[in-house]
Amino acid sequence: MVIKTENISKTYNPDSIPVHALRGVNIEIEKGEFTAIVGPSGSGKTTLLNIIGGLDRPTDGYIEVGGSDISKLSDNELIDFRRNNIGFVFQAYNLIPVLTARENVEFVMLLQNQSEEVRNERTEELLKAVGLEKEIDRRPSKLSGGQQQRVAVARALASKPTFVLADEPTANLDSKSTTNLLDIMAELNRKEEITFVFSTHDQRVIDRARRVITLEDGVIASDIRR
Amino acid sequence: MLFKIAWRNIWRSRTRSLVVIGAIAIGVWAVIFLISFSSGMVTSYINNAIENEISHIQIHHPDFIEDEEVKYFIENPENLISDIQMVDGVKAATLRSISNGMLSTSKGGGRGIRIKAIDPISEALVTHLDEKIKEGKYFGESRSKSILISTSLSEKMKAKVRSKLVLTFQDVNGNITALGFRVAGLFQTGNNAYDLNTVFVKREDLNPNLGDEKLTHEVAIVVNVPQNVEIVQSDIKDLYPNLLTENYKELSPEIELFQSQIKLSALIFTVIVMLGLIFGIINTMLMAVLERIREFGMLMAIGMNKVRVFWMVVLETVLLGMVAAPIGLAIGWFSVVYFSTRGIDLSNYSRGMREIGFSPIIYPNIESDFYWWLTLAVAVTAILGSLYPAFKAIKLRPVEALRKL
Repeated sequence: MVIKTENISKTYNPDSIPVHALRGVNIEIEKGEFTAIVGPSGSGKTTLLNIIGGLDRPTDGYIEVGGSDISKLSDNELIDFRRNNIGFVFQAYNLIPVLTARENVEFVMLLQNQSEEVRNERTEELLKAVGLEKEIDRRPSKLSGGQQQRVAVARALASKPTFVLADEPTANLDSKSTTNLLDIMAELNRKEEITFVFSTHDQRVIDRARRVITLEDGVIASDIRR
Repeated sequence: MLFKIAWRNIWRSRTRSLVVIGAIAIGVWAVIFLISFSSGMVTSYINNAIENEISHIQIHHPDFIEDEEVKYFIENPENLISDIQMVDGVKAATLRSISNGMLSTSKGGGRGIRIKAIDPISEALVTHLDEKIKEGKYFGESRSKSILISTSLSEKMKAKVRSKLVLTFQDVNGNITALGFRVAGLFQTGNNAYDLNTVFVKREDLNPNLGDEKLTHEVAIVVNVPQNVEIVQSDIKDLYPNLLTENYKELSPEIELFQSQIKLSALIFTVIVMLGLIFGIINTMLMAVLERIREFGMLMAIGMNKVRVFWMVVLETVLLGMVAAPIGLAIGWFSVVYFSTRGIDLSNYSRGMREIGFSPIIYPNIESDFYWWLTLAVAVTAILGSLYPAFKAIKLRPVEALRKL
């Protein structure tokens, strides 16, 4: 089991006008899944992703990632946990603008104190896997949106995470870039058994997912495996 | 990598960084120039006082300094000069007899005056009085008794070269004596107050009328290396334990005061400038942090811990300072070097400056240690200026920071 949540609830503004983003969500995600979390705006997709990713804390409930209860970790412990267990792909790419593609991918491994040899080898391997071996020394401003998102995928995988969380990863991409990115992620998922969890509105992502969890008003409306 | 990111981040907003770098550089330059200028003024005052009035070391009868009475003379002065010149580090020495008296002319009335009776040759070696003659001669060969008065005193007393003056003074027995002199030359030392109150005559002319041809009240000594004055003073004290041997700081306490004041004012000015710079740095770094909130959120999301985030902001600020400081130091150094040889001419204000003993041309100078202190001050300022923005950065919560546009 990679991710397990039990009765996860999240309420914003509990003391004034409470907004219940999640109400008792129970999910179990196995290693190697390619899962899309879908639902209308405000359904709680991003909140669930943030809680699973250790970026936010649930108001109530239990969450276990890779066998550890992360709901009780301190802020600093959560940072360490995220660094070593979770890869993030953001909607707006969020690369470090002053670093090249190679340096962006390498950065996470530097935070893990990996040796230079390991860093160089893995960076080149990952950028080749996402088809950016020729753009390795370009900064994000010199890359297209699709290329930037592929660098973000390479960066997310650099730390050898337990799973990758992708929040609307294709929202800013054109059709061709979306297909290309999904092909790369599907290939990594198939070959290396990397677990991907997406939150998305994009039908193209939903079509490629092998499991689709639908959230509505903070509860799971459906959970379909294909 | 942290260094690389910090360095590149500085140049993301080139104009803003250049403005801060410029402000720090100008601040550093201003501190150096103002301190070196003040130091140059004080140095000119000290040099003037040493050169004209007090020399590096003076020897007196122990009671002379307090009362300046003629009766407190140095006994057995015959071998003083030759013995003192044997002391290691002594450059030149001269004997003086001193009396307070009245100077009067037929046109200018009377005036209280300090009469310094000197040996012209040895005096010239100590005070270079011969080089300060603006009109007339340095005593000359006249058969009549010669006197040197200052240009400013000549105006006051309406006396010119070759005018006849009368000095009235007390001899060692308390008898009042009047003696006629002819003005041989007019001098100007640069200290108006001193010039107005001092006249020079030859010992051979005054001493017989004071009561003793060998009469000596003061030995003025200059040393080869001013920094060694205390060592030379100690050697002379050992030679003459019964006489009062004082260095220029003891003779003129205001010199010590000026020297300590210059250090204090350097500290105060540096602190004021650095305080100003701190606010500029805080403003800039705060802007740099606030416009990168989402980036900091991302960094913390992917696992950059708060200590590293904190140091990245501090490092960016210190790098800004370290780019700016050498520029300011270099401009400051060049300014000091340029003006230390050419001088800053303040002749337009020289009248007021001369009244209190300052030279009209100031030669800025600064101790080389000060550049290191200033570099350290900039580094400390940069670190202090970075603390608030750095704390602001680590207070961000990734989940909220990532939502910022």
